Amino acid sequence: MTALRKYSLGDIFGVGLIFAVGLFTLLLLVAPSIIVVIISFDTRAFVSFPPEGFTLRWYAEVFQQGELVEAMANSLQVGLTVTVLCILLGVPTALACARGRFKGTTALSVFVLVPHMVPGIVLGVAVLFAGALVGVSPSIWLQSISITVFILAVMVRTVQSRLVRLDPALEEAAANLRATPFQSLRTVTFPLLMPAILAGAVFTFVEGFDNLSVAIFTHGFRDRPLPVELLALVQYTSSPLVAAVSGVQIVLAIAALIAVSLSIGLDNVNE
Amino acid sequence: MTDAAVPQQISGRGLGERLIDALLSGRGIWPAVPAIIVLMVVAVVPFVILLSLGFSNIVVSRGEIVSQTFSLAHLTNALTDPLYWTTFQRSLNLALTTTLLCLVFGYPVAYLFLVGGKWTKRAILILTIAPLLTSGIVRTYAWLVILGGRGVVNSTLMNLGLIDQPLRIMNTHWAVLIGMVQIHLPVMILPLIAVMSRHDSRLVEASANLGASRLATLRTIVLPLSVPGIGTGAALVFTLSYTTFVVPQLLGGGNYLNAATMIYEQVVFSLEWSKGSVSSLILMVTCLIVLVAIALVTNHFTRWTKGRDA
Repeated sequence: MTALRKYSLGDIFGVGLIFAVGLFTLLLLVAPSIIVVIISFDTRAFVSFPPEGFTLRWYAEVFQQGELVEAMANSLQVGLTVTVLCILLGVPTALACARGRFKGTTALSVFVLVPHMVPGIVLGVAVLFAGALVGVSPSIWLQSISITVFILAVMVRTVQSRLVRLDPALEEAAANLRATPFQSLRTVTFPLLMPAILAGAVFTFVEGFDNLSVAIFTHGFRDRPLPVELLALVQYTSSPLVAAVSGVQIVLAIAALIAVSLSIGLDNVNE
Repeated sequence: MTDAAVPQQISGRGLGERLIDALLSGRGIWPAVPAIIVLMVVAVVPFVILLSLGFSNIVVSRGEIVSQTFSLAHLTNALTDPLYWTTFQRSLNLALTTTLLCLVFGYPVAYLFLVGGKWTKRAILILTIAPLLTSGIVRTYAWLVILGGRGVVNSTLMNLGLIDQPLRIMNTHWAVLIGMVQIHLPVMILPLIAVMSRHDSRLVEASANLGASRLATLRTIVLPLSVPGIGTGAALVFTLSYTTFVVPQLLGGGNYLNAATMIYEQVVFSLEWSKGSVSSLILMVTCLIVLVAIALVTNHFTRWTKGRDA
């Protein structure tokens, strides 16, 4: 088999170039985060490279700044609210899309997708203006529901694609054993859907926690979420404080990644 | 299931359970109704209102609209204002360049994923997904650290004695472009990987067995089969980079105006709601046009691939 392969000079050069660019890109993906983590331990009060000393001062400061801690708590609340709402609204919608026997299942799938296709800032501006018309001012709740609408499609699609691939014989067996629709849902369908719901939950939580484009127009004046607070911080401070916040986020991201890969496997995330 | 079987089961169940059964049994639209209501109230109605604001004169007082009259003035003003044209042109250029560069740098990673072993695949997945879990602001901040006056690039060049004065990289078009490409790379790579992992590996083997070189296999088998992934990745990267304001705001300094930063200023700082509505609508429509174009091109080349299979 290998004897038939021809390795011309052009082939070696071309594939070598592709490999080189690929490795460079992989380096490009991680290098900035590594540099930020290095900076976050610098003793100097301004950002410079290479660092001149080692201190945990900036990490301590992150948790001493009331505004930052409050912003983190706000974003945590938004993230959890968005996740819960997406599960409550999205899983039944996925059921209707995948299992429904009514006209317009495709139209429903498209309808759910539309807010996700619209740029986040356009949705944010639209909700802000609509709220002003009916007297709903921006708040942590308006922010949560707006991000829910924005990201709902991800939950629906993740669960729906899993539902479509489930063996219908399992649910038929449950029905034949005289399970009611609710019983079959609870004991057969839901356990099989769990990995998809979990994967959807991870993504909706991250969006709720991190979203800026929708949040910047809909967040409450006093309840600033972390991305809005960070944006201001990056623009108006030059200390490694932001680097320390980044360091915390990077550690959390790695923890989330390990948790996901241990529970459902990375390959499922990519689906 | 016969009707006679049903009464037996119903005994001893709560109202909630019976309600859920009733909603599920017809396999109708019922489970989706709550989501539909929420989407109507929080997405559809606001879009209609945005549309109406773009086509009317409004008077805002204390955050509430006190009067509204129909007018095309804002749209015509926007379309005749050179600032709008240059701003949207700049955004469009930036987003298209970003999309192209993401493809050029991202595709080799997907190819590494295709030919790599189990651990290579795993490493690539982790390196691609991890950045998506940290905030875009944090990732943009990293570029402030790298490209800044006392940043990594300038310190290294000065320590090597290649330059005396720090280069001015920050607050230029290049800084914005570099940041844009690096931040959106994962969004391009993931759909490419998804499409590659669905490849039938026998096709690549067959191509090699028939004596095709690796490059020929890449050109005639791998690339045509990954067209749908390229389309998805390009659509995602374009939408995100066309409508982001984090990167231009932070890496371009205060004076780099793209469509998103313009809308932000109109809505949040100068409180020109009608202008903001018109800009949002133009942003949405132009974005949609490019997305349709990407879909058409993708479709065209996908069909061509299918034709070859037959």
